[in-house]
Amino acid sequence: MTLRPGSLAFLIIAIAALGTQGLCYAQAPTKQVYVYIDSVMAADTNEGTDPRLSPMDKKLRGLFGFSTYSLIGHIEGETSCGKMIAFALPGGKILHVQPRAIDNDMIAMEIVLFDGTRPMMTTDLKLKNNGTLIVGGPRYETGMMIISIGASTSGAQPGGTHSAMQAQVAGTPGESAAH
Amino acid sequence: MAECGEISVMLGAFEDSELEPNEMQEVAFHLARCESCTGILADYSTLGRNLRSISVEPKLAGFSSAVIARVERLPQPAHIRIARFFRRQMDSLGAGLAWGGAVAAAAVLTIILMTPYAEQFARKGAGSGTSVADATHEAVPAPNQIASSSGNEPTMADNDSQAVISRLESPNRSVAVWSEPRRDTTVIWLPDQP
Repeated sequence: MTLRPGSLAFLIIAIAALGTQGLCYAQAPTKQVYVYIDSVMAADTNEGTDPRLSPMDKKLRGLFGFSTYSLIGHIEGETSCGKMIAFALPGGKILHVQPRAIDNDMIAMEIVLFDGTRPMMTTDLKLKNNGTLIVGGPRYETGMMIISIGASTSGAQPGGTHSAMQAQVAGTPGESAAH
Repeated sequence: MAECGEISVMLGAFEDSELEPNEMQEVAFHLARCESCTGILADYSTLGRNLRSISVEPKLAGFSSAVIARVERLPQPAHIRIARFFRRQMDSLGAGLAWGGAVAAAAVLTIILMTPYAEQFARKGAGSGTSVADATHEAVPAPNQIASSSGNEPTMADNDSQAVISRLESPNRSVAVWSEPRRDTTVIWLPDQP
């Protein structure tokens, strides 16, 4: 089999074009990002797990050793790349989430957690689409606060709490705000 | 003006367009004025058409390849056979090198175009520690309430995590990050400072 120079050039151009196409698709900036926040109080008061947290029960028990998990807030919002969304959480905490890019199946974002006006944590991360990040540790009432942060490009809550939770929990609605 | 006797011998060639240009012109000039020669030419034309319509063209499909195959089978001198063998080998080698070059060029282009992914893969391959590469504060063990992992489970940020943390800043010096691969979850732990 022989390869003509024309065929070689065509092959290289075709592969390069496909690669460029994939890169453009990966960097498409217009996609919406849905952010889901569950605030959970964890304590050692032997009260078991809040039924509304049943989808997260195994995960919480696998990650932490508390005997009580109680859902204290659920909030969700929709934003887009480059646009920050702010969530007011129980205990005076404020969470800022700013998606930066959607890279393949990962959502790059910056997350800042405030205790009132004082920043507690700033992180840049890439979260898998429909994945969750858990931030925990701040003291809350008789226990500690665990914040589950989920992000999705499809609007489906990633591994989230019970669907009825939204109706049952009085959460402050997320508000979009630009820095 | 040429006589009909001179022209009539050229009519067959004229019909087949085989005359020299000056002869073609001379015959055409004569035909314009001579009905007798025009009639003879018409007879030639009719005869030619009829002959072509009754002739059967032989089927030539595969003829050339059969001839080439026959020629190939003819006994060749040894030096020609050896030269032919080496020529074929060189052709194959050339094609292989060309394909190899094409694939290598395509791979280089793809790597250049997909650099963000390459970086991501490189970061993944570098091990669990890279998940918290730029953490401002040193990670410390989680508090007692955190469930201890079983023996073969990593306790810090792991490649299987759903999150890849590239920067983590906190005034809290006790901040800890770890990943639980079975739950596919990354945890940032920020205990209240005393």
